[in-house]
Amino acid sequence: MNMSWYWPTPNGKPPLIAVLSVIVPLAVLLLTASTVDMSYNKIFYAIPRMLDFTKNLWVMPDWHYVPQLAKKMLETVEMTLLATALAILLSMPLGVLAAKNASPHPIIFRITRDLLSFIRALPELVWALVFVSALGLGPLPGIMALSLVTVGFMGKFIAESIEVVDAKAIEGLESTGCTKFQSILYAMLPQAVPDFIGSLLYILDHNLRAASILGLVGAGGIGYDMVMSMRLFNYERIGMIALSIYALVTLLDRLSDVFRQKALGGILNVH
Amino acid sequence: MAYISLTAVHKTYPNGYCALKNITLDIEAGQFIAVLGPSGAGKSTLLRAMNALDPATQGEISIDGVVLSKKNYRQMRAHIGMVFQQFNLVDRLNVMTNVLVGRLAERGWLNSLFYLFPKTDYQIAEAALREVDLLDKAWSRADKLSGGQQQRVGIARALAQQPKMILADEPIASLDPKASEEVLKLLRKICSEKGITVIVNLHQVEYAKQFADRVIALKAGQVVFDDHPDQLTQARQADIYGTTIEETTNEYELVLAHT
Repeated sequence: MNMSWYWPTPNGKPPLIAVLSVIVPLAVLLLTASTVDMSYNKIFYAIPRMLDFTKNLWVMPDWHYVPQLAKKMLETVEMTLLATALAILLSMPLGVLAAKNASPHPIIFRITRDLLSFIRALPELVWALVFVSALGLGPLPGIMALSLVTVGFMGKFIAESIEVVDAKAIEGLESTGCTKFQSILYAMLPQAVPDFIGSLLYILDHNLRAASILGLVGAGGIGYDMVMSMRLFNYERIGMIALSIYALVTLLDRLSDVFRQKALGGILNVH
Repeated sequence: MAYISLTAVHKTYPNGYCALKNITLDIEAGQFIAVLGPSGAGKSTLLRAMNALDPATQGEISIDGVVLSKKNYRQMRAHIGMVFQQFNLVDRLNVMTNVLVGRLAERGWLNSLFYLFPKTDYQIAEAALREVDLLDKAWSRADKLSGGQQQRVGIARALAQQPKMILADEPIASLDPKASEEVLKLLRKICSEKGITVIVNLHQVEYAKQFADRVIALKAGQVVFDDHPDQLTQARQADIYGTTIEETTNEYELVLAHT
């Protein structure tokens, strides 16, 4: 029996596009590695120092810090939830306007899309700097920066999930003589819900981590404490902060898994 | 005067394909009309022109004395129910909401925004569900129902519009024989009891003979038969569907270079 191997193409050879999509990225990586100072020696010699740093973390936690830690973590969670909730309210209408099939006019579609990309162009930290200089230190500029960037992402996600909904249901609605607004509400949005929940949970996860570093620029949350203890080599606190952020992110992850299962299984029915 | 009249209706798609050529028809109110013809003959296009889902490019369509025009699409559709091959329900909404959708054209945007409907609409929706015998499924999700049941929800949605006419675009093409017959019997009953004009696209000549008052057959965008179903003789059927059954020879031979 002939045991030669072939790809499932007419001539038995791999398609050119597949070959290129392996070779081109590899070539790019090889060419760029040197310009970004990718040096194996450097990485190798850094290992002992990294181990040294990790060793330093094995110290007795600073128990007196616990109340302050709890307060700051709670502030971080509050910032996350508030910013995300605000962002959902704002991104719903923007998302609808930025969806090709729901937007009332191609020009409105274009403008909203561009507005959303403009918002996304800068990361939270930079927006936070802007708001801190306008509003002063504290969680408020952090919340504003976070919800602004979230609007940029949520708007895009919502628009994309509306664009892929089943066109048959939309046609079914249109055949009854209802308005475009009604067909958005009754055919597009209900069908976009599973996608929407997926992105919402991802955004929540992302925002929790973003909120925990906004303190870097004085915009509230646990970030300020984290950076200060890093700078002061306060290892008793660094470990505690890192662990509590980890615990919180994991908890959120578990919760969102449970929620997603229920939502997609239809227990959270949309009437 | 006829209830629906089409005068010299043409439909040319943007890609240049001409789906309807010079169709002139008069349809009386309260009739059950079957539209037959091979795939691609323009059956769906004809139905979709009547409620302007795919507006005709030339000619005039008038329903109950009102000429269909760009300005009155929505008002006209409000009183024309449409039943689709793939049911076109909103899967994630429950059956009741899918039927209430038929009332939306009468409701303002603010009530719609909050998914609020007046009691009268619920009564209309309940009556429609009772008519299709699915009142017990009112609160199930639409996608949990069988194909035949989903199509009956589609009919209930059309009934909730309190229509003067129902267009059914191959309503049984995705259903098994038993469900198909149920759906056609239901449409027939609605036509006879409520006096609603029903126009159904069909592929099965037998069903057309069994249910229809009048059969219109299309071939390549033109009317080739328009008469009482009794007149659908073997010869006329052969005429509609092509004289000989063309043998499809498979010209594509799989070329395997490596064998």
